[in-house]
Amino acid sequence: MSSDGNADARAADKERRRIKSTEAMRDLMVKYYTEAKAAEGTDKHIAWITSGAPVEPLIAFDVIPVYPENHGAMCGAAHMNVELCEAAEARGFSRDLCSYARGDIGSALTKGGPIGGLPRPTFLIACNNICNTVFKWYEELSRFFGVPLFIYDTPFVRGELPAHIADYSLRQMKEYISFLEKTTNKEYDEQHFVEVAAKSLFASGLWAEVLACNQHRPAPMTCFDAFIMMAPIVTLRGTQEVVDFYQGLLAEMRERVEQGIGILPSERYRVLWDNIPVWYELRNLGRLFLELETCLVADTYTSAWTFEDVDPSDPLGSMSKIYAEVYLNINLERMADKIESLAARFDVDGMIMHSNRSCKPYSLGQYDLAKEFTRRTGKPTLVIEADHTDSRWYNRAEVETRIRDFVENLLGGGVGL
Amino acid sequence: MDVQATVEECLELWRNPYPQLARLREEGERPVAFFCSYTPEEILHAAGLTPVRLMGAVRTITHADAHLQPYCCSLARTDLDMALAGELGFLEGEVFVQTCDTMMRLSDIWRRNAGLSFHGDLVLPIRMGEEISLPFIVEEVRRFRKQVESFIGREIWDDAIEESMHVYNRNRRLAERLYGLRRENPGILDGLSATACLVAGFWMRRDKHNELLHELVEELGKGRISQEERVPLLVSGSVCTMPDLPELLLELGADMVDDDLCCGHRYFDAFADESVSPEEALAKRMWERVNCPAKHQCIEDRAERLMRQVGDCGAKGVVFYLQSFCEPHLFDIPYLRGRLQEELGVPSLVLESELQSFSRGQLRTRLQAFIETIRGV
Ligand code: SF4
Ligand code: SF4
Repeated sequence: MSSDGNADARAADKERRRIKSTEAMRDLMVKYYTEAKAAEGTDKHIAWITSGAPVEPLIAFDVIPVYPENHGAMCGAAHMNVELCEAAEARGFSRDLCSYARGDIGSALTKGGPIGGLPRPTFLIACNNICNTVFKWYEELSRFFGVPLFIYDTPFVRGELPAHIADYSLRQMKEYISFLEKTTNKEYDEQHFVEVAAKSLFASGLWAEVLACNQHRPAPMTCFDAFIMMAPIVTLRGTQEVVDFYQGLLAEMRERVEQGIGILPSERYRVLWDNIPVWYELRNLGRLFLELETCLVADTYTSAWTFEDVDPSDPLGSMSKIYAEVYLNINLERMADKIESLAARFDVDGMIMHSNRSCKPYSLGQYDLAKEFTRRTGKPTLVIEADHTDSRWYNRAEVETRIRDFVENLLGGGVGL
Repeated sequence: MDVQATVEECLELWRNPYPQLARLREEGERPVAFFCSYTPEEILHAAGLTPVRLMGAVRTITHADAHLQPYCCSLARTDLDMALAGELGFLEGEVFVQTCDTMMRLSDIWRRNAGLSFHGDLVLPIRMGEEISLPFIVEEVRRFRKQVESFIGREIWDDAIEESMHVYNRNRRLAERLYGLRRENPGILDGLSATACLVAGFWMRRDKHNELLHELVEELGKGRISQEERVPLLVSGSVCTMPDLPELLLELGADMVDDDLCCGHRYFDAFADESVSPEEALAKRMWERVNCPAKHQCIEDRAERLMRQVGDCGAKGVVFYLQSFCEPHLFDIPYLRGRLQEELGVPSLVLESELQSFSRGQLRTRLQAFIETIRGV
């Protein structure tokens, strides 16, 4: 065969393995951001909201939710977050604060970033189930924009969810609804809320099934794809478009599984990823793992948006429980249970943890989790140091060498730590 | 009472409280460590335990790096390091309160790797001072009481807690009196000495500390000790592990005339109501006391309070003294500095402390430049 023929075959193979739903997702997100931007200055309400907060009430009240964290990921992937961080730093915000927060404050100050900044909020919703950074950050936004802030407060859960936390959460869910009634001048329509909640749960169920497709060998996608594909479930769950999108994605994934189409041309090792992606390095890391024939088949991040245990007769009650017990709001032993079960379900050979300088609740405790993981599963772990969107803290050469070494020497030999 | 001698003793304790803590144990006390001023010490005290506060130490990390990344505050790192190195064997336990993300994770890490016979956790809301969170805190205090009871193997009587509340309330009143005296008679006792006498209470039983403060306040009430003019400053931040900062201020002709520190003014704010149930009283106190920056600002805007304090004590400048990587404090800095400058024309300086690379010389240089600017104004 001529070298041209080879190239053609390679291109065809690449096209066969490409995930086609990517375009639908891009369209969905572009439409979402365009609409949100267009709503600025109209009488539509726009709320900035943290990624772990209950968004269903906003959808039910016809408020446009805007996610600075999603925007941060976008700025990171576009290599634009550092300059936004610098704008915040020039205002006195320490370089040691979360780079999502710094980037967002910088973008509010300068209107910078790939889409010229986010549309101005009419109010803010922060939920500390992912970290305590968010309420400090949103306090600052509230002062900056001069708009009200609703805090949905989720105390840390050790072991089983205690009744007094469940009760506090439920009372706040009701208060959240009253807050929305007041700010939007609309009445709460329980019927409509239940519909939204049902869609949200349905979509999150579809998302869970999409992720579960990766239990197959070869895996139809890597978690790098999942990081991108999760945008709609984070930002718009509760809408019909999101349900439609994930139905399409699920169908595609199932087809890939049936036809044995893997995302990598060859999959030798399967690895579990922990923590937020290194957004500005997705491409390089993707290339490296491809070369190492290693597929990141599952992660602790994207599965945070798969909800379980919902009682349709008590939507507010079940919602408040779900939001209280997200992955970052539980103790290390419960986290270890989760990664152990992911490892078993996805049949991984080891785990790579991103020790993320920006995110303390996600990263502190990783050294202990790594040891615990190896103790329970006998599989090796690697911890790499980075920051999700501030590339100034990243040492590419060092990280790549360590990953290479991990895959070649540890995964190959299957030796535990 | 010989004020000077008492101050000297307290200063020595501040510089290195650990030998004293070991002695406490030898004398038959049962020290339990706490880190955060939201700890309901009264419950521990009523259980016959002696709550003692760990505020870090200047040291090289040898053990903690295997469990904590370098990007978290040095209080967490040095305290854990001491525990892992087996230097805290005189303790019977430790109590963690949910304040920041670091503390929340540190509790688990500590329990798994350095846990002593008693490990207490108190989970708190961030929405303090709002009706909605009070029932939650009351229940959490009740749960904490049960944790302590199961450790000591018997019930803690309500009246025992009431007595302890009385002891701690008295302590708060005395501390307030001390600060009041200093405000009314500038120069009567410098900030270094006053804070030393206050923090010494973290390493002895409160009853004993009450005697100390009582005598100090009596003695100071007798007459004015005149001192030379100093540049009055307010220090805001979390804790001062070492007396170096107020000491340097004195050396440089300034004085910390008031503070917004977790080991100072914020520690003794608000009283426990002795007429309601212990759980309610203790919950209500932490709920209405001055907010720590790790809590949502619903009680009162921090800038308003700080500006009022600056006005009351006549400070000509504010020094923010923070732990590196401490998000709750770092987030507030631009806002607080901005308002101090714009509304009061009061300049401020931000200093970060990292105990494992502590440099007194650097601290001195920066303070000196700051004080000179103020003098020049
Ligand atoms: S990255 Fe971590 S610290 Fe930053 S906002 Fe998200 S959860 Fe909070
Ligand atoms: S100093 Fe800051 S980061 Fe450290 S424990 Fe205290 S609040 Fe948390």
